[in-house]
Amino acid sequence: MKLLTCPMNGTRPLSEFIFGGEYREGPDQNTCTDAEWAAFVHNRSGAPGDKKEWWYHSPSGTWFIAERNTLTDKVSRTYLLGANNNNSNTAQEASK
Amino acid sequence: MTLRTSKQVGEWINRNKKISFKFEGEQFTAFEGDTISSALWAADQKVLGRSFKYHRPRGVLSLANHDVNVLMTDGIDTNIRADVVEVKDGMVLTAVNTTGGVKKDKSSYIDSISPLLPVGFYYKAFHTPRRFFPFWEKVIRNAAGLGIVNFDYPRILKRKQHSHCDVLVIGAGPTGLTAAYEAAQAGLEVTLVDENRQVGGSLTYDRGGETAASKQLNDLLIKVANQSNIKMLTGTYAAGYYPDHLIPVVSEGGINKVRAKTVIVASGAFEQPPVFRYNDLPGVMLGSAAQRLIYRYGVKPFNNGIVVTANDYGYRVALDLLEAGTKVVAVVDLRKGTNTCGAAITLAKRGIKIYAGYCVYEALASSDKSSVRGAVLCEYDNIANVALTKNKLTLECDGIAMSAGWAPAGALLYQAGTGMQFDNSVQQFVPSRLPAGIFAAGKVNGIFDLEQRLQDGKRAANEALRYLGLEAPQITVARPVGQPSDLSCPSHPYPMVPHDKGKNFVDFDEDIQIKDFVNAAKEGFDNIELMKRFTTVGMGPSQGKHSNMNAIRILARIRDLPVEKIGTTTSRPFFHPTPIGHLGGRGFHAHRLTSLHDWHQANGAVFTDIGAWKRAAYYPTNGQTKEQAIQTEAMAVRTAAGIIDGSSFGKIEVHGPDAAEFLERFFTGSYKTQKVGRCRYVMLLDDSGVIADDGIASRLADDLFYLSIGTSNAAAVYREMQRSQQMWQLDIGLVNVTGAFGAINIAGPVARTILSALTDLDLSYESFPISSVRESHVAGVEARLIRVAFVSDVGYELHIPMAHVPHVWNALLEAGKQHGLRPFGSDTQRLLRLEMGHPMPGVDTDGLTNPFEIGADWAIEMNKPYFIGQRSLQILAKRPLRKQLVPFVLAENFKGEMPMDCNLVVDGRAILGRVTSIAYSKFINRCIGFAYVSPAKTAVGSTFEIRTDSGTLVKATVAAAPFIQNQKGA
Amino acid sequence: MQVSNMKTISQTSPVAHAQLKSNAKWALVNGINTAVEFGSAEVEQARKKILGVTDVSCLSRYGVKGAQAAKWLAERQVTTPANPNSWSVSDQNTLVLRLGGSEFVLEDQFAGSTCARLASDTNRVPNVYKVPRADAAFILSGSEVLNMLSELCSLDLREKSLGAEEVIMTQIAGISAIVLRQDLNGEQVYRIWCDGTYGPYLWDVMVEIAVELGGGAVGLACYQS
Repeated sequence: MKLLTCPMNGTRPLSEFIFGGEYREGPDQNTCTDAEWAAFVHNRSGAPGDKKEWWYHSPSGTWFIAERNTLTDKVSRTYLLGANNNNSNTAQEASK
Repeated sequence: MTLRTSKQVGEWINRNKKISFKFEGEQFTAFEGDTISSALWAADQKVLGRSFKYHRPRGVLSLANHDVNVLMTDGIDTNIRADVVEVKDGMVLTAVNTTGGVKKDKSSYIDSISPLLPVGFYYKAFHTPRRFFPFWEKVIRNAAGLGIVNFDYPRILKRKQHSHCDVLVIGAGPTGLTAAYEAAQAGLEVTLVDENRQVGGSLTYDRGGETAASKQLNDLLIKVANQSNIKMLTGTYAAGYYPDHLIPVVSEGGINKVRAKTVIVASGAFEQPPVFRYNDLPGVMLGSAAQRLIYRYGVKPFNNGIVVTANDYGYRVALDLLEAGTKVVAVVDLRKGTNTCGAAITLAKRGIKIYAGYCVYEALASSDKSSVRGAVLCEYDNIANVALTKNKLTLECDGIAMSAGWAPAGALLYQAGTGMQFDNSVQQFVPSRLPAGIFAAGKVNGIFDLEQRLQDGKRAANEALRYLGLEAPQITVARPVGQPSDLSCPSHPYPMVPHDKGKNFVDFDEDIQIKDFVNAAKEGFDNIELMKRFTTVGMGPSQGKHSNMNAIRILARIRDLPVEKIGTTTSRPFFHPTPIGHLGGRGFHAHRLTSLHDWHQANGAVFTDIGAWKRAAYYPTNGQTKEQAIQTEAMAVRTAAGIIDGSSFGKIEVHGPDAAEFLERFFTGSYKTQKVGRCRYVMLLDDSGVIADDGIASRLADDLFYLSIGTSNAAAVYREMQRSQQMWQLDIGLVNVTGAFGAINIAGPVARTILSALTDLDLSYESFPISSVRESHVAGVEARLIRVAFVSDVGYELHIPMAHVPHVWNALLEAGKQHGLRPFGSDTQRLLRLEMGHPMPGVDTDGLTNPFEIGADWAIEMNKPYFIGQRSLQILAKRPLRKQLVPFVLAENFKGEMPMDCNLVVDGRAILGRVTSIAYSKFINRCIGFAYVSPAKTAVGSTFEIRTDSGTLVKATVAAAPFIQNQKGA
Repeated sequence: MQVSNMKTISQTSPVAHAQLKSNAKWALVNGINTAVEFGSAEVEQARKKILGVTDVSCLSRYGVKGAQAAKWLAERQVTTPANPNSWSVSDQNTLVLRLGGSEFVLEDQFAGSTCARLASDTNRVPNVYKVPRADAAFILSGSEVLNMLSELCSLDLREKSLGAEEVIMTQIAGISAIVLRQDLNGEQVYRIWCDGTYGPYLWDVMVEIAVELGGGAVGLACYQS
């Protein structure tokens, strides 16, 4: 089973986490067209590559962002949203 | 006659302990430590099983856990691998897959009609006419399969544990032992696993007639034993590789999921048989199998043996046979040239005849085909790879040992994503690109020389150390470079001997011969993955351990491509068959109980699972059916009062100055204007405007809301609140009090009377109207009282600390005794809320339902700056509705087939919608429900048709909700 | 209208449902009906040495969270752990667990009274949010405790990996739980907390394994002295 590093609780097996979907910035809902909004809500890019994803560490209730390459399944960085890099865990730190 | 040898140094049997067992009705004796096969072989019992397809007699092949033609049944246990499973006193064994016993298997006639049964025949033969297929299916199913499944097999669950180490070493042969020792020397925590009962790998059997190997093993074992940081697990196989170095290792006792920081794969190699006619007769076995018989079990493989070899290993085997007292009739070497390896020189000195550049053209079977009586030798053309049959030569013998080469035990390396490349010099797939933290050493790495293997183990350990950030010198161990024709090459590039009459087996599991591959290629299945599936090579229980490599070589030859270009089939976990009970483990089924669980049980509740909770669904009394119990409970609520344990409801506190702002963003309604002491409906949408859940928000203070939401979605809603807060960073605090607070709902016309006896709160409708909340005491317990009209318009939800719920519950029951109060369950609650006309998210809505479709426009405040789903609702609002939820009734005194949830609402052939809830209400004496219908037909009194399971059309009429009249004064 | 004193209201350990089938001796501890003995002292001591599972849900607890929670506790003379996800002892007899950065769980041991003191302070303060606790709580003891935990939890909980001051929030037998390691009266024990509604489930699982490994249920009395 894969390991994932929660910025608050450290490295844990994937079974402790819940996937929260891709982290995406939506368009400004007050100025965007209906079509733009519908595209944001319903369309996802399935192209492999670096993605920002929401993950939830269930036992502690921690939401964080993981930057993951969906082709290689390598997580390069995890951090709390809005916390800049203070709580960031790089892959190297995680492996220690 | 016994084939038992004198005592061997390091043998695995205990000659002081005799045991007896039965095989196919006959009594046998064995020594403790014998495997079933070794004990039988010692007693000169050579037919140990029958092959899967042609029912040919089979004996010992590998003695290394892939003698899959020798599977046995002992009582309820079946498919026991006789080559490795220890024989136990009192076992009563029979071979699987025989008709009437292993000696006179009535199904062996299939062997004589084998030309009629080419590979893939069943894919093609039974298609037409279709009506015969059930007949053929029965025949094939009877013929297929090995041991018979015993449906009375007990449920045996094994423990599944986790463990952790710095280095996991897979394989405890000389390489693995060295690697483990070196890593442990550096202070690392090492786990060493080996599927064999004892460690030592090739040192336990490959001796070349000398004792040096056993001494070497002893020295290694002493070194390893002195390292307390090595955990040695024998009888344990590494079953698969999972990401981030998680390797489940499986033993008799269960599965242990080992999480390692780094992994050294020293899993060795499987010896590969040369392919010649009748290479499957009992008595024809791999060279390493002969060695295992001798040194592990003290059993002579045969009396007069021939060694057929295509590498130098066969010469060592010949020396070991001599050591065991076997007369070696000849060594037959496919390769030409004078061999100068030590073993060859010793053999020549001892007068053993060596036929270089010869092959065994065919083995000769005894009259009953149960053993070997001789072998026909021919010269071998090493370029065309054919026998030159001009000058045949027949030698008498009763056994043949085969050594032609090796295939890496690389399953875990493949699973981990290792790039494997075919090394022409050693004629083997070897790792070329290893994933981070994984190292390969020894034979699996293409290193065969013993001294080099020890070095390679050390090299791998040092690399693992450096990977972990420790210092260790770099060591280089190089694979030999040369031509495949070099005598030092451990594997022959094409050890096949074609024969006009076939029966030269490549895969013993499935009786696949050389011609089967040729035929498969002719049919167009000339890719290795396709060929595997068409011929079934490697698909038997041995999973190709002795056949895949030869199959690849044959396909390469057919397609005239280098082996490299053919590649290998995909390796998937688990590497070895593992019992279901091991996989199941103890089976944890986590569930939550309310503090009233004992009460519910004592009062005969029937429980239902809702999310993780066990909830009381209804309480049948005096032999009531479910339906009767529900109607009785519902009538009590309508005519007197009922109480339900609502402790499983989701309960969340939203604290802080921004609490109302948070709710306004999160839910559809408006909360800034909500007064303290009042409750409002909350509805949660997703970004696309689909209803996710609903509930009640009670404002306890300017900066405190108390939310109660449905049971099943509570955890998900709280999670989404946390995520939103992470994004919005408002000045709030979220506290999930689902488990800390219990809840009781008391509802019905006399609910107020009953409750008033237990609280000094003014319960009059004027001072405590519907949709309001109060903090007070009930039965002396601090409580939040919420006036909800979910199941009745006179209803009070009491939210109290979980531990106090039984106290309040009992007090209510006591106070309500004289008023006809009774408990009701969650199934009854479903009916009651239906009577009240409340749709439930997840029941009356699905993953596409928006609020407009359930007529919840009233719950949406579109004029707020933002709420989740708002923008999508703006779009949806402009569009015509496609369906709409309506309350409906069936005809009065309806007696026909009752429609069910999810039955379709139809108009001729068109589907307009579906029923989402339907029930008979005794109180109204009518069948009532919710259904999606066409938006054009939602006016009260409109009718529509529901198609039942049997296809009957039932007329329904749109009604007004609630289905019941308001209580007076509510 | 009858207003009874809170102390007289019967309460039962959240784990009790799972313990009713055993012939335990029950007693009120902190006003909570608790299984205090599952066997003779010799039997329980023997179990405790191998693998003892004890229900300590009846200990008083106090939960608080929020940006100002640490400060609020400090003002009330509660020493809090300096680091996130760690624990310490306050008032000599109260465990203080810091969950993540800004949430705290206090648990009075047998003689403590800090929780009651804090609970009596009902003023609501900005950024200090009371978290009502209804935990099931356990002490696991004995030589086989890691053997059991290796089946319940995928993390490495051995001494070398789980620091003496560390608190971890993880999954035990599939449910969220808080775990720490403690030297209690010279004995290495593990403390586990989970939501009380999961208590009977977790008790059943742990006692089943404990019995297989030669241990079993141990009453609270073993720790009360």
